[in-house]
Amino acid sequence: MSTTGIKLTIDQREIEARPGETVLQAARRNGVDIPHFCYHDKLSIAGSCRICLVKVNNLPKLQPACNLAAAPNMIVETNVEQVQKAREDVLQFLLVNHPLDCGICDKAGECRLQDYQHKYGPAQSISRDPKHHKRKLHDLGPRITLDNERCILCSRCVRFTREISRTNALGIVERGNHSYVEAQVPGQFDDPYSDNVIDLCPTGALLSRDFLYKCRVWFLQPIRSVCTGCARGCSIKSWKRMNVRQQHMPGAAPGNAAYRTTARENPAINGPWLCNKGYDQHTWMSRERVPHPLVDGAPATVGEAMAKRLLSTARNPAVLVSTHASNEELDVLQAVLGAVPAYPHRDWLPVAGEVVEDNLLIRADKNPNRRGVVARFGDQEFDPAAGHDLVVVWGEVSTPLPLGATRWIHLTPFGTPSERPAAVVLPVSNTYERQGTFTNFEGTLNAFEPLFEKPAHAQHAADVFRSLAS
Amino acid sequence: MSAAFTPALLVRFDALRSQYPPEMKTSLVLPLLHCVQDEQGFVTEADAVRIAEYIGMPAIQVVEALTWYTMFDREPQGRYVIKVCRNIACSLRGSENVLAHLQQKLGIGVGETTADGRFTLKTVECLASCGTAPAMQVNRTYHEQLDAAKLDRILESLP
Amino acid sequence: MSGPVFMSFPVTATSHTLAEYRARGGYAALERALREMTPAQVGAQAKASGLQGRGGAGFQTGLKWEFVSKDAPVVYLCCNIDEGEPGTFKDRWILEHSPHQLLEGMLFAAYALRVRHAFAYIRGEFDLPLRRLQGALDEARAAGLLGENVCGSGFSCDIVLHRGAGAYVCGEESSLINSLEGKKGFPRNKPPFPAVRGLYQKPTVVNNVETLATVPWIMTHGAAAYAEMGIKKTPGTRLFGVSGHVEQPGLFERPTGYPLAQLIMQDAGGILGGRKLKAVIPGGSSTPILTAAEIEGLTLDPESMTRAGSMVGSGAVIVIAEGTCMVRLLQVLSRFYAHESCGQCTPCREGTDWMNRILERIVAGQGTAADLATLRRLPTGIMGNTVCALGDAASMPVVSFIKKFGHEFEHFVTHGRSLHDGRLAP
Repeated sequence: MSTTGIKLTIDQREIEARPGETVLQAARRNGVDIPHFCYHDKLSIAGSCRICLVKVNNLPKLQPACNLAAAPNMIVETNVEQVQKAREDVLQFLLVNHPLDCGICDKAGECRLQDYQHKYGPAQSISRDPKHHKRKLHDLGPRITLDNERCILCSRCVRFTREISRTNALGIVERGNHSYVEAQVPGQFDDPYSDNVIDLCPTGALLSRDFLYKCRVWFLQPIRSVCTGCARGCSIKSWKRMNVRQQHMPGAAPGNAAYRTTARENPAINGPWLCNKGYDQHTWMSRERVPHPLVDGAPATVGEAMAKRLLSTARNPAVLVSTHASNEELDVLQAVLGAVPAYPHRDWLPVAGEVVEDNLLIRADKNPNRRGVVARFGDQEFDPAAGHDLVVVWGEVSTPLPLGATRWIHLTPFGTPSERPAAVVLPVSNTYERQGTFTNFEGTLNAFEPLFEKPAHAQHAADVFRSLAS
Repeated sequence: MSAAFTPALLVRFDALRSQYPPEMKTSLVLPLLHCVQDEQGFVTEADAVRIAEYIGMPAIQVVEALTWYTMFDREPQGRYVIKVCRNIACSLRGSENVLAHLQQKLGIGVGETTADGRFTLKTVECLASCGTAPAMQVNRTYHEQLDAAKLDRILESLP
Repeated sequence: MSGPVFMSFPVTATSHTLAEYRARGGYAALERALREMTPAQVGAQAKASGLQGRGGAGFQTGLKWEFVSKDAPVVYLCCNIDEGEPGTFKDRWILEHSPHQLLEGMLFAAYALRVRHAFAYIRGEFDLPLRRLQGALDEARAAGLLGENVCGSGFSCDIVLHRGAGAYVCGEESSLINSLEGKKGFPRNKPPFPAVRGLYQKPTVVNNVETLATVPWIMTHGAAAYAEMGIKKTPGTRLFGVSGHVEQPGLFERPTGYPLAQLIMQDAGGILGGRKLKAVIPGGSSTPILTAAEIEGLTLDPESMTRAGSMVGSGAVIVIAEGTCMVRLLQVLSRFYAHESCGQCTPCREGTDWMNRILERIVAGQGTAADLATLRRLPTGIMGNTVCALGDAASMPVVSFIKKFGHEFEHFVTHGRSLHDGRLAP
């Protein structure tokens, strides 16, 4: 044990707290789960939900563990009768006006209130009075619905907009149990990080409009993935349907589509947060694909062969390397490239209306692996006057390419239309369909797992390169 | 209220601002809300946003204050707002009779305004007039030791 | 005239002016102290006097001042004029008739604590007290008693008069601080205490009007003289307010330890209309109610009150005569607390409204025995579990009314009507 640690006892077990830690933090770090709604690691302490009350040093009055500095020789009990009763009472109070919406509420299955009620709550409500009604499921903004009846006024969402995204978009108005969460401009929760409040919300009060009623969460599984929206490459969970039963539910996502994206905590890259573009990753990934290889615009099956012939006759070919490529794919390309010049390709530039860069997560480079590309191929800009007679463009083309009349081969996962069609278009797999790593703008590596098998008509880019090289 | 605060009001805002140390700018929220309330008899959410702009702070915080404190009316009230205390000492000394008398005299219920816009009737909590109960406020003025006759005199005396 | 510290002069239309305050010796102690005493010496006097806070919590004032670090570069002082505890009407008297006494007290405190900017947080509803205090501030500034270089001493302090806007909870010191910062009056979790991190996170002392207005007397006559008055452990005099069913409701300055029955039966002229006494709420609506039998031999000091199961609180004695419906009276209080709950923490926000709704139903004749059981249980989930004492304040009346007058509640739920025709007023 370090000499600077603070020794205290929690539930008769001696543990060590770090200087400055609260009892709640020290307990969590040592595997003792003290229930909490309003507390969050990255937000200021509210101390208002009162479910974290614990017994300290045998004092008659319970203390909120979230606001209690761990002190030497402190004796904390988190499960004695007085604490159990207090938790039960807090839940009794929370449930007196909470609507029994579980059967129709998206949050069921991942709802903290539901979980605590199950674990610590009273067998039934002792209230005889009709529940107070507040505004139900309405648009807080274009992306989020708010149900004020479900809200337990923990203020996490409000504190997020004050302390993290700093848009000050949300507040709690009115007094007592008439209070409710409101957007400062009603109906317009205008915040590039708005969707974080959905995951912060411990109940089904704040829900994603995109995900609303699409699937029960217990039919979904989160896959470790990485957002491709910018060079930060935040860690995300991409949620796909579990293959437990082959039921086809109405509105089930077709083909290789994920149901939703949420943040995956990564202290080195994004902490617990994710921007809205990241929350939309699954929508991004379900754009139209290139359905089959194309030669001069027409479907083909021998596109690959064609490409080989083109390549062998080219005097001065070059490759524009996708900055959405994984390091593993880049390694394969590097191995087979030989003397062919390669330049980093900007698959995506910021689009109109998109946040370019900020002090939180968003980076101006809208591609996840430029560093991986530059590390292997250098950062020279493609020069149209260099006299290349064939260019292999690997990656999406979202802005006009400086290719002039040069013939080009296009390897792309998505069918982004381009001004001048390529001679050959080869569909390749996207980030959901293979595993790999990206190197983010700070040089941090982040790995992603596949959700699906690639479609039959698409190739893994690495396989294409190996094939073209031979 | 028109789209902007009047120059006269802004002069009063400036005077209030000069009373506080500069590092305490958000302390101006209540004084400025009071200023607008005193000026026009009510404060809208748009006023709250403009107050926030004047102070240089997030609008939501001023909106929260506007909705949390009970002395700010969100809509126009009658010319005379009668606030009858309904708390314990006044209840023990006949505040219910005061309320009943006013309701009967004015022909309105609690929370309502007379058709001619002259009187609004409200109930409020303890006004710290317990020793001179029952008590009420008409606009800013306290009226204490009320009985039916005194109530009638007060109503008649109002211009 | 009925007391040495406050009610030592005849109240006239001009007794609140600077001229008359000076005429009765006002500001002499301040001028002398600024010349001859150090801040530490002033603080020591306050401590030696044994003065307790007069807002209701009763914390040792000198001790509270000592919690402020001597090295803190910025310290704030706030005078709590958010008088709102039902039954209490003493602070307004001080403002209406002797506001300079408060100002002198504030300046003493500011000097002891090294405060440059002080605040007088006055409840928004006050009219005459506000005007009188504003007038006193103007007079004091004009006379060089406030602002830069007070009395030519080199000590500077100014007082900002800041109006509240209708919230009982803002009488809680950390709620008052948040309100002063322009926010909703949510109380803060403690620690940190205001003396360490208060207004704008700077060390702050919040003191009640009566507390601060006592300081000039202590500085004039000495801490020992103050400590000799009243009861030894909690010395001095207090402004006791008597309201409700008495012939002469009003304020009475009496030493601590004064017999409660005497205050009601003699000073306040006994029960209204010659009726019998039924109950007394001794220290403001948040203190447990006592039956007529229970007040015998009780004195107005913490020790005696604690033994009786109640508190001196804000010194606000509310008197209830026979024939009053205790169920309806409790619902008057439960309605108040539900209205004033700030909404921040779960037990108070939901619990105060819940208790009030049950009482509303009982009073409407729709209560059941199960409701009484719930009313007995809910306070146990609220008391001790909230951010501030409002939760306790709302619970104690429910607990004590049902405990002492349970038969009235039983009657109401059994028969659907009051035992006393729902009577509150005579």
